[in-house]
This record gives sequence, structure tokens and C-alpha cells, in this order.
Amino acid sequence: MNQAPSPNLADPAPSPHDALQTQDGRASAPLLTVRSAVYSYGSELALQGANLQLAPGEILAVTGPSGSGKSTLMLVAAGVLAPTAGQVIFNGRVISDDSEGERSRLRRTEFGVLFQFGQLVPELTAGENVALPLLLDGAKRQQARAAAGLWLERFGVADLIDVRPPDMSGGQSQRVAAARAMVTEPSVLFADEPTGALDTMSGEAVMREIVRVAREAGTGVMLITHDAKVAAYGDREVLVRDGTTNELSINLRNGDDR
Amino acid sequence: MSSPSLATSLRLAASGGRSDHVRIGITAAGAFMTTLLFFLAASVGLIGPTDGPYRFEVLNQPGLRPGVIISLLLLTVPTLIFVGQCSRFGAPARDRRLARLRMAGARPRDVVRIVALETGLAAFGGSIVAAVAYFVGRRWFATEHIATITTETEIGSRGILLEEVNATVRYAPTDVLFPAWIVVALVAVVPVLATGFSVLALRRVVLSPFGVNRSTPSTPPRLLPVVLFGAGTAALMSFSAVVRLLDLDRRAFPLVALTGFIFFVMIATGLIIGGASIAAATGRFIAPRTDRPSILLAARRLIAAPYTSTRATTSILLAVFIGSAVQAVRASFLAGTDPEDTFYATTFSLLNLVLVAAIVLSCASLAITTTEAVVERRRTLAALKAAGTPRRTLAASLFAETLVPLVPSVVLAASAGLLSARGVFGSRVSSWSDERGEVILVDVPLPVATPALLGVCAIAVSVLATAASLVPLRRSFDHAELRTAA
Ligand SMILES: Nc1ncnc2c1ncn2[C@@H]1O[C@H](COP(=O)(O)OP(=O)(O)O)[C@@H](O)[C@H]1O
Ligand SMILES: [Mg+2]
Repeated sequence: MNQAPSPNLADPAPSPHDALQTQDGRASAPLLTVRSAVYSYGSELALQGANLQLAPGEILAVTGPSGSGKSTLMLVAAGVLAPTAGQVIFNGRVISDDSEGERSRLRRTEFGVLFQFGQLVPELTAGENVALPLLLDGAKRQQARAAAGLWLERFGVADLIDVRPPDMSGGQSQRVAAARAMVTEPSVLFADEPTGALDTMSGEAVMREIVRVAREAGTGVMLITHDAKVAAYGDREVLVRDGTTNELSINLRNGDDR
Repeated sequence: MSSPSLATSLRLAASGGRSDHVRIGITAAGAFMTTLLFFLAASVGLIGPTDGPYRFEVLNQPGLRPGVIISLLLLTVPTLIFVGQCSRFGAPARDRRLARLRMAGARPRDVVRIVALETGLAAFGGSIVAAVAYFVGRRWFATEHIATITTETEIGSRGILLEEVNATVRYAPTDVLFPAWIVVALVAVVPVLATGFSVLALRRVVLSPFGVNRSTPSTPPRLLPVVLFGAGTAALMSFSAVVRLLDLDRRAFPLVALTGFIFFVMIATGLIIGGASIAAATGRFIAPRTDRPSILLAARRLIAAPYTSTRATTSILLAVFIGSAVQAVRASFLAGTDPEDTFYATTFSLLNLVLVAAIVLSCASLAITTTEAVVERRRTLAALKAAGTPRRTLAASLFAETLVPLVPSVVLAASAGLLSARGVFGSRVSSWSDERGEVILVDVPLPVATPALLGVCAIAVSVLATAASLVPLRRSFDHAELRTAA
């Protein structure tokens, strides 16, 4: 990992050193960069200079022990939390200084987020849950519903379109949630332990679907997990420990696209 | 296993988090308000022949005192509803805590005991403070001064002599004596009611060692409220005409009054049950039609939990209903009296003040319920926020959830109150203010402005209460909600 410049430096443009080596050896500009991010919850320092880069379409596994700061790193990278110090750069633009309104719009259009559980609105049907981000962007009802149907189908749950979350299994809920995260065709999907609340079998099945759909759509994924098996889905792995990041390994994937 | 000691139960009752402390605090505050109103009402009721005189005419004339007492008791309706709401504030979290206690071996009745103790003691604390405040306040306001008042003296068997005299008066009945048992009873009423309510509310919730099962109320009835409301309103609208037609004996008056009251209660009940039905129906109408996310979220909530959003507006609706009826009665009294005589005008103005106070008090319940709705859904709201849903969309949906069912209900309540009271008191009254001293019939104007104002006031105060409850919406986007277990 490059020596990150001090967060107080006035130069917001990503330096050429930020370029990533992708698997086929070509250098490409990173889509998302977190540079020396510091974040504290009051006196609790959760991130102390974390670095991260994500290339377009890349699946990055973020691992580390519980309480090491993985979730915080993701929330900072996704622009939910503004870092106390350091920068988040998306598509060559520093987004960490943007207002909450601007970051909110970015999350709505460019990012998708997926949590462990509890992100679907229980009163809305699966179709409406998935259509919600499109409606927020001004889509018409019919149009949004059609798109929602399509994405539910990609995750193999088209038949749930009129079912409400309380009547779904955990695996079904996470597939619907994934469809909602992907419906805006984001360039980055942030997933914090997306299968952490599921049993091994359905967890693996859901994970495979997420990876497959993300690869088909060319969406970059920041995949947070503490499960080595899940981490193996990533192209690269970053280890978080006590609020700092370490590049673990370059996954030698042998070209199969799962 | 033996029952935990009182001390243990107490400790368990108080061992909750922030929202448990808030619940205890607001329950006590609601009990304080209610008990204070009870003391004020009782002090008017206890005025004896040797007490007084007072600055205000309504306190001096025994015939007017019941009106004062009823007004004060009416004010306790919203405060009592408030206490009821409070006992459920943050309750889902508490219920989960209690379920864990069940897991640890507590029996169902131990859990009920903990809840009863918590609510009962909180309300008791508030009531005690109210009693102390009342008796301290009595000394504070006990000053006497000179004022001109009207005295009544009976002369012979028929006549009453009204005299304007200067007398030493008190502002309020601070001189009445309270028998000890009344003090005890007044302090006990609210804690007993609150405890009963919280235990009853708990019966809706099955606390098993494996968690909390809330038996959700079924979809609200559609026909019943329409029948109650429709029949009641129709009956009262034609009430005086029918009574005139029947040409009843004077002795039938109590029966006639009772019949009228039953119809009145029918309308009120129809309104209360109907609130939830209106919420569900408007939700069902809107949900498949809207393109707006905020409206969609609100409509779906109304379908899924019609009682949640209307429970809190119950006392607002009642205030609007009774208030509009009062406006019709007022119009009828004022049409029949000499405009020089300001007694009725003043009395009805005071009554209107009471109504506004009732609406404002009702809004405290509304603020509690909306806050509770936000807190209960904080994880979902935080996730929506993280996914880029603007806060204004979420705020708009919470506003819509309250206002969409409230506006039609308020219109119905105001119209029903106005028309039924007019039906009872008639649209023509006899007046003795004719120049030649003859009794003539005058038309009672239909008061539209004041009930409309009352309705607008109710909706405006509801908007404010909802806005106030959106404050924790900021907090509930707390990222803490988004952290996962690992
Ligand atoms: N809302 C919060 N308030 C206070 N401390 C927090 C909060 N969220 C996280 N932390 C602390 O920050 C550190 C990192 O937490 P988190 O990012 O959730 O780690 P992980 O996802 O790796 O388990 C932990 O020590 C945790 O206790
Ligand atoms: Mg975490």
C-alpha cells in the first residue's frame, strides 16, 4: 500500500500512485479511494488511518476481528459517516467534504448498501421495497415496478413481488434487499456481513447470487465479513485490525468467473 | 421458585435504559396533570354554603358549578389518555427485556408484577406531587380582596333578588375543606387506572421465554363505525323535531336527555373506531396509486397498523366533536339572550378556552405516539437513510401518516358535533329581548367559523406535535443502528 498523504494536504486529486494493478495486469484508476481515514465515536477511536482502494467491478473482501472497525470503515467509504480526518474519493472527486444532502444523493444513485438484516420496510411488499429507490429518483410507479420485478428475478425471488418481509425467510429477505441495493445499477455495492444472519447453506447460496449479479452488472463490491469462506469470493482481501488496514493478499483467481 | 421480593421487582422495574426512564417520567407527569385537575374539580364540588364568595360568578352560583366541574373533568380525558399512551412508550424494548427475564425463570405473574409496579409507582409519584402542589398552591392563591359581585337572595317563594355588592372575595375556592378520604381517593385514582391499563395492555403481548409475540389487532371493522356514527348523527339531527312531534310530558325529560346522551356516545364511539377504519381505507386507496415514496410509505403503514396512527388522535377528535357541539349550543343560547347580558358569552368563551386546552393536551399524546413510532422503527429508518433516502422524505411520510387519516376524521367530527347539537337545541329559539317585551322566535345562525377554526386549530397543533416528535428522527439515524453483531 502506498504511503498515504496527510489528510490535511490541500491536494484532493488522487495521485497516480493510487492506480491499482488489476488481475489481468492492466493499471486502472481506482473508482473509490479511502485515504488515511480517521473516525471516532466520541472518545472511542474506531478508525485510525485506514486506507482502501476499489477498482471498477472489483470485489474487495474486508475482513478482521469483531470490533476492529470494518463496519465503520464501510460507513465512511459509503459516505454515511463523514470521516473525522482523511478523505474519501469517488470517481476522482473528494466526497468526504460534501454536505449530507449531496452524499445522500450519491448513495442513492451510485452506491448500493446491504446490511445483515432489518433494512426492508416491513409494511411494503418486496416489489415496493425494491422500487423505492427508483421512486425516490422520480420514476413512475409502473416503470419502477417493472424494474423491481426484473431485479427480483435476477436474484431468483420474482414470485415474492407481492409478499411482505415478515412473511419471508431470512434468505429471501436478503435476496430482496440485494435486489433493492442493485436496482439503481450502482457502481459500488457495500455489503456488511450480508449473510451473517443466515445459516451456512442459504448464506452461501445468497452470497453466490450477489457475486454473480454484481459481476454481470460490473458493480464493484466492498464485502465485509469475518468468515474466511465468504472472503474467498473476493478478488482481493484487506484486513482491518484496531482501526487500521493491511493489504492481505492478492487473490490468485484463475480466471473463472463463478 | 418463589416470587421475587418487592425490592427485587422494584429493581427490575427500574433497570431499563433511557426510554424506560422517559416512560416513567412522562407517566408521572401525566398523572400529575390529571390528579391536579381532579383536585381542582373536587374543590369546586366541595364548596359549601359557608364558603366564598369568589371573584367568578360561575363559582358563586351553585347551579353553575356542575358546568365548571364537568369542564375540568373533560380536561382529564386527554390527560388520562396521555397516561395510557405513556405506559406503552418504549414498551417493545421493555417487553423484550421482560421476555429475557422469563427465560431466566420468571413466571408470567412476576413479569406482570414488575410492569404494574413500574406504572403504578410512577403514577403514584406524580399524584402525590400533584396533591402537594395543590395544597401549596392553595396557600399561594388564598389572598382575599375587595371586588364587586352579584349576590342572589331568595325573596318569598318565587323571586330572587340580585344585588351588586362590594365584598371580600377569593379568586378560587381555596377555603373549602377536604375530608381526608377524598384526598386519599383523589391521589389513588390515577395510579389505579394507570396500573390497570398497563396490565391490560400487557395481555396483548405474550411474553414467552423465547421472545415477544404481539397479537396484532385485526383489521378495523368497517360497517360498525358507519352505523354508529350515521345512526347517532341522524337521530340527533332530528331530535328536537321528533321530541316536539311526540309532545311528551315534562316528566319525560330525564328519559329524553338520557336518549340524547346515548346517541351522543354512539357518535363518539363511531368516531373512535372509525378513525382506524378511515386510516386503513385511505391507505388502501392511496397505496396502489401514488408515485411518491413518502406517501407510499405512509399509506402502507396505515394499512398495516391503522390503530397505531389513530390511537393518538382519538382525544383530538373527541375535543373537536364536543367543541363543535358546544359552538352550536352557544349560538342557540346567544340568539336567545339579550346581547347586553354578557354572562353566557363569557361562560362560553371560558368553555372554548377549555376546549383549546384539551386539544393542546391531546397533542402531548400524539407527540408521544409519533416519537414511539420513530423509535420503534429506527433500524429501518437508519437503513433507508444509509441507502440515500432523504430525511425530508421520511419526515413527510411521518406527517402523512398522521394527517391523512386525521383531516377527514376532523371534518366528520366537526360536522357531526355541529349538526347534532343543532338538531337537539333547535334552529329557532324563543327570545325575550323583543322591543315590545313579547316573546318571539329567532333563527339561530349556523356557526361555521368557530367549528372550522377549532378543526384547523386541531390539525395545526397536530402538525406541531408531529414536528416535535421528529426531533429524535435525527438521532435515530444513529449509525449505531447499522452496526452488525460481528
Ligand atoms: N455508535 C458507536 N458508538 C460508540 N462506539 C462505537 C459505535 N460504533 C462502533 N463503535 C466502536 O468502534 C469500534 C469499531 O466498531 P465496528 O466498526 O462496528 O467494528 P466491526 O464492524 O469490525 O465489528 C468498536 O470498538 C466499537 O465498540
Ligand atoms: Mg460490524
